[in-house]
Amino acid sequence: MESLETFIVESTVPEEGDAYKGIVADIITELVLGGAIGRIKVVVRPEDSLYLMAVILRGSQPTVKVSDMASIEVSNYLKNELTISIEQEKYLPDLLEKLWARYGRTKVYQPERNTLKMNAEDVNAEVEFLKDMVVADPRSTLQSRLVEMAIRATPEGFRVRYHSMDGHRFVFAASEDILKPEWIQEAQDIAKELMEDE
Amino acid sequence: MAAILEPYIYEGGIHKHTLITELLEDLGGYLIQKVPAATEVTLVMLIPRDDVHLIEELGKKLLGKLTRAPLTGTEIAIVSPTLASHHLPHSACDVAEFMRRGGSNTNMIGLARGMGRRVSLSDNYERKLINEHDLAVFSFGTFSDCIKNKKPKLLEGIIIPKIVAGGPIDLKTEDVANADLYVGGIGRVAHRMRKSGELSALDILLEKVVGVVEKMREDLAKDPLAVLPARVMKEIHEQIPEIFDVFSPAPVTLQLDGLRVKLPYEQFHEKVEGLEFDEGVKLSDMADITLSKMKNYILVKIKRESEVGFTA
Repeated sequence: MESLETFIVESTVPEEGDAYKGIVADIITELVLGGAIGRIKVVVRPEDSLYLMAVILRGSQPTVKVSDMASIEVSNYLKNELTISIEQEKYLPDLLEKLWARYGRTKVYQPERNTLKMNAEDVNAEVEFLKDMVVADPRSTLQSRLVEMAIRATPEGFRVRYHSMDGHRFVFAASEDILKPEWIQEAQDIAKELMEDE
Repeated sequence: MAAILEPYIYEGGIHKHTLITELLEDLGGYLIQKVPAATEVTLVMLIPRDDVHLIEELGKKLLGKLTRAPLTGTEIAIVSPTLASHHLPHSACDVAEFMRRGGSNTNMIGLARGMGRRVSLSDNYERKLINEHDLAVFSFGTFSDCIKNKKPKLLEGIIIPKIVAGGPIDLKTEDVANADLYVGGIGRVAHRMRKSGELSALDILLEKVVGVVEKMREDLAKDPLAVLPARVMKEIHEQIPEIFDVFSPAPVTLQLDGLRVKLPYEQFHEKVEGLEFDEGVKLSDMADITLSKMKNYILVKIKRESEVGFTA
């Protein structure tokens, strides 16, 4: 699936759908979701105060462990010291947060931008533990960015919302009044239709 | 009445710009606002019609530019349904920017509960605040159904001219109940308006607003104000020196039929009421001075000649 291979925004008046597509496109760009979304379809019916959206995500990215973004070694057995050499700096803030929580902020030394040093009693076990520690989970931030996108793209007054995330499928419906079951079903059907395009 | 005054904006270097303000004073014009920005300065002023060429020549010598600014001396409310990211900053702020280029002072007003269709409503306080302005531009969204059927209730109770800006191009003013004018092509966008179509829509809006303001000025000329707002501003500058301690960009904001003085009401309203004019009259003889709905500013609404019986 290419990114954004299907991008449809429908409304009662076609020109208004096109105008709304501009808004949705801007929001996708703002939240850097372009690469993550495979197919998206939005249906807006202002006369019903209804906004429906279905998104099919592209293959989800795996979680990032310390061993994926850095190498760990025991640098001094006598002092029980281990060293982490960072290879992908973009995860450094997340890693630091985790290490600070584990060792305490003053006990993680950063003598240089890409080097972290700390002490542990059983260094070998500690290295094994750190290698498998999860630093970042793109899936969890993706989900929150998707929800953010849905809220930003919906007309502001539509505060009654429904959303479901099922694997690669994100379904969203919003209205000003109580959501009718058939509207939610319609949103699910749109998602199904998008899945069938494969 | 004194010489007819024409509104202009001068944009140029800050170097020697005081020559312009001095000349303006000698000619009997009024400097309404001065905005210095690093090495540049923008002067908003009213120049006597017969002497415009003098300022123009001096401006040319100083390598500045003098342009006519038909909205000078107006205070316009740009009303957005709420302050949320759905409605602000685009396109309402772009609308405000264009109004300011026309010489107007603008206030952005975000309603507390203006969002949605069935649930949208405006508050009595908000309506009173909007009514303090010369005219209001409402920045609405993309859907004609909302603009036609649901949003006009936000215009109810607004007695100043109401201009609606929205997305659909084919809507007519008659379709939007309570609106005095509808301008299309300026709907909800999530980016700054910079494409040619968007900019030309804003140009059209500015043109139409200028038309409305000119009509209001004509109506005003039939029964003129007892005193020019610009003259009251000059007297405030001379008689209430505390005005120079105000940090607001426009400490005295002119309106077509009055002015907003950005000093605390309790402390200064007596001084404003007691402003003396050469003719031997006080401002309170010619104007209603009340507490503004905006902060605790002073709102001056000048009475008409027919009511007062003389002009100063």
